[in-house]
Amino acid sequence: MKVKIKSWMGVATWRWIANDENCGICRMSFENCCPECSLPGDDCPLVWGACSHCFHMHCIVKWLNSQPNSQQCPMCRQNWKFNIQ
Amino acid sequence: MTDIDAVWERTCKVFPILKKTLSETSVGNEDIEHVIRELSALGLCESVYESAFIEFDFILRQQIVPRFWKHFESVPDPDTGFYNFQLAVHELYSDFSRAQEVLRRLTLFRQVCRLKNQEKVAKSEEATFDELFRSVLLSQLAANFNDIVYAFYKVSFRIFANSYDNNDQDEFAEDMIELNCNGCGKETERCRCQELVCAFNTTNKHLYKMHLLDKLAGYTLTNLIQERITAHVEETCKGVFDASHIKNLQKWLDTIVINWLTRIFNRGSSKISEGDGYTHNVIENFRIKLSYFLYETYAKLIIDQFFNIIIDFPDSQLAIDDLKVCLEKIDLRKHLIKTLKQSLEARLLHPGVNTMDILTGYVAAIKAIRHLDPSGVLLETTTEPIKEYLRKRSDTVRCVITGLTEEGPTDLAEELAKSETLKENVDVKGKDEMLNWEVWNPDPIDASPVPRPKRTSRSADIISMVVDIYGSKELFVNEYRNLLADRLLVQLDFNPEKEIRNLELLKLRFGDSLLHSCEVMLKDISDSKRINSHIQSDLNYSNGKAFPISSLILSSQFWPAFNKETLELPDEIQDEFKKYTTSYEAYKGNRTLVWRPVTGRVVLEIELAGRTLEMTVNPTQAAIIHYFQERNEWALEELSGLLKIPPSILRKRISFWQTQGLIKERDTDIYTLIDEMEQSQVDPSQSQEICEEDESESAMASASDQREEELQVFWSYIVGMLTNLDSMPIERIHQMLKMFASHGSGVEFTQEELKNFLQRKVREYKLIYNGGVYHLPK
Repeated sequence: MKVKIKSWMGVATWRWIANDENCGICRMSFENCCPECSLPGDDCPLVWGACSHCFHMHCIVKWLNSQPNSQQCPMCRQNWKFNIQ
Repeated sequence: MTDIDAVWERTCKVFPILKKTLSETSVGNEDIEHVIRELSALGLCESVYESAFIEFDFILRQQIVPRFWKHFESVPDPDTGFYNFQLAVHELYSDFSRAQEVLRRLTLFRQVCRLKNQEKVAKSEEATFDELFRSVLLSQLAANFNDIVYAFYKVSFRIFANSYDNNDQDEFAEDMIELNCNGCGKETERCRCQELVCAFNTTNKHLYKMHLLDKLAGYTLTNLIQERITAHVEETCKGVFDASHIKNLQKWLDTIVINWLTRIFNRGSSKISEGDGYTHNVIENFRIKLSYFLYETYAKLIIDQFFNIIIDFPDSQLAIDDLKVCLEKIDLRKHLIKTLKQSLEARLLHPGVNTMDILTGYVAAIKAIRHLDPSGVLLETTTEPIKEYLRKRSDTVRCVITGLTEEGPTDLAEELAKSETLKENVDVKGKDEMLNWEVWNPDPIDASPVPRPKRTSRSADIISMVVDIYGSKELFVNEYRNLLADRLLVQLDFNPEKEIRNLELLKLRFGDSLLHSCEVMLKDISDSKRINSHIQSDLNYSNGKAFPISSLILSSQFWPAFNKETLELPDEIQDEFKKYTTSYEAYKGNRTLVWRPVTGRVVLEIELAGRTLEMTVNPTQAAIIHYFQERNEWALEELSGLLKIPPSILRKRISFWQTQGLIKERDTDIYTLIDEMEQSQVDPSQSQEICEEDESESAMASASDQREEELQVFWSYIVGMLTNLDSMPIERIHQMLKMFASHGSGVEFTQEELKNFLQRKVREYKLIYNGGVYHLPK
């Protein structure tokens, strides 16, 4: 007997490759979107800081805008720098 | 002495009543005057006058009345009853008219003598006699008298109604060859209708002249007519809902019944003369009384059949309109509510009826009752038991959702489509209410006195009414989400336009926020298509692939929880998926895929004994047959270890291939591929009976599993509480959780559910239950 697979339709869930599960700012899961957004994934991406912490982009931008003087990571208080990959 | 004797003789000749007889004597007025002169000379006027009345009384009591009643002693049979009555009345009348002659003479007598009996001056002799006559007559009333009168009038009514009908449809009547006359029941040639009518008219005339018509026949007449009305209404209107009957009924009453009555009361003629106020009044009274009775009968008939009316609603609208008219005249509201509740309960609310059918009935009831009573109070009262009952059925939500999204008997989908115009209408209505405040009416007294939060809820549309069964939108939305997930993942008959349209319609009704995840789910599906085509065009991937993979890529947070079925695919296949994942990772930076191997659809081509089979199977089945490609025989245990499927489930999956005639169970738990020699001998139809319904299985976790998952959130709270407070009874735990924990998540649960959850924890040795309280194991 020979079995040949002609096509396979599978089901998968997508996941961010990150070292945490939830956004430290909004406490939502990364796979969920930030409170401002309604669609996850492409429309509500993650960003990584140089300190390796990561957040929803909208969350961290909002946070940084609310800090008048120094721009620090809300988790480790190091100066925030976007980690451009 | 001889003189007095002679005077007495002459007196008796003038007044034969004094000799206890009513036999007529012909005497001229001069004779009477002569007797009077003689009597007054003797001073006997008064005594003679008095004794005449005493004798009247005697004769009535002893002769006339007993003779009259004697006619009715025999058991009445319909044929002779009529004549019996006629004869009796005739006799009575002849006695009565002879008495009238005597009375006339007495009047003359009184006038000439100028008797000074003051109290009698007020009344004429006729009145005194009438009084006497009636009281004596009625005091000896025969027990079965009403039956006889009834039979008498019944015959006459039949004849009358029949002759009326014949007038109406003359040309038809001639065509019809009838052996028996409809009226008198005799053969047509010997029809005696005419004769009977004559007799009837005379009898009525007699009764009328004796002022007895009302007294003797009134009660029975009313009864008879009411009976006829009931029969007529039933005959013409029962089971016919698509026509308005009220005008015809009213016409029937006005023509046939009232005409007949007029004839009775108006001595045989159907035209009331101008000056006859008395007859006019009587007929008018009858008309009012009877037309109310007609409305009542008709309304009750409709009410009794209201369930059927509900079921054929749009066609039965006219019957409801009729009922509306009737209810304006007669207050049958209580009866309506009671009957309706009972019939709904008897026809719908028992275990023998499908939930879908109950829903269909409910929707029809909403439409029909709303047509009857736009204020919605009636609807609220009568449909409460249905709601209550539907709440107890576990598949109600599913049925509603199915009804909403698919074409079905409930018209719910149609209603949903209508809701597009809903929002504008609401505004218009609000304005109307303000403008028409003068026609506003307070609620009827049987309306629920509880003030409702929203004024609109009573006039809400059908969908809201149906959704309102549970009082919570969340439940419906959750169920919709589960069903949608199933449709998208398992059934795969995905029609994006239809689903999106449905979703938009539901959003109008339930609001965007509740249906947000459904929106994401639909977007996932369309995004997956795009991603797929991108990956297929990625040369790095498509050059190395062994078979084409397509995928549905889901946003896990927005989908309902999956069931926990597991499957580990053979390495070769897994490698293919890894390639696909790599390509995905390259396309979407920083993201990866977590495969869910159990779900999906595989198209296989199996080459066997020189023929090829093409089949569409689920991944588990594909993996099983893939292993059988390597080896012809597998032990269940071994295969279960490789596939990471529990043996019990695996056995179920293998049975699919058994039904296909590819695998057999050689020994207990040992499965072999049926080799090519045997293949030809196996008749695949034999094993077809074990066919399993794999397709219908849901990929989602069952509702109770999801529920447990929700309660799991509270476990940390419970542990915290018990650590601090040592031990607690379940009531306390429930209360505390409700107070502190359930606020944020919006999860609500009953004590019963909590108890199940805690019992499970006890079974898992995470809790100890002792003496009515729970505590943590030390």
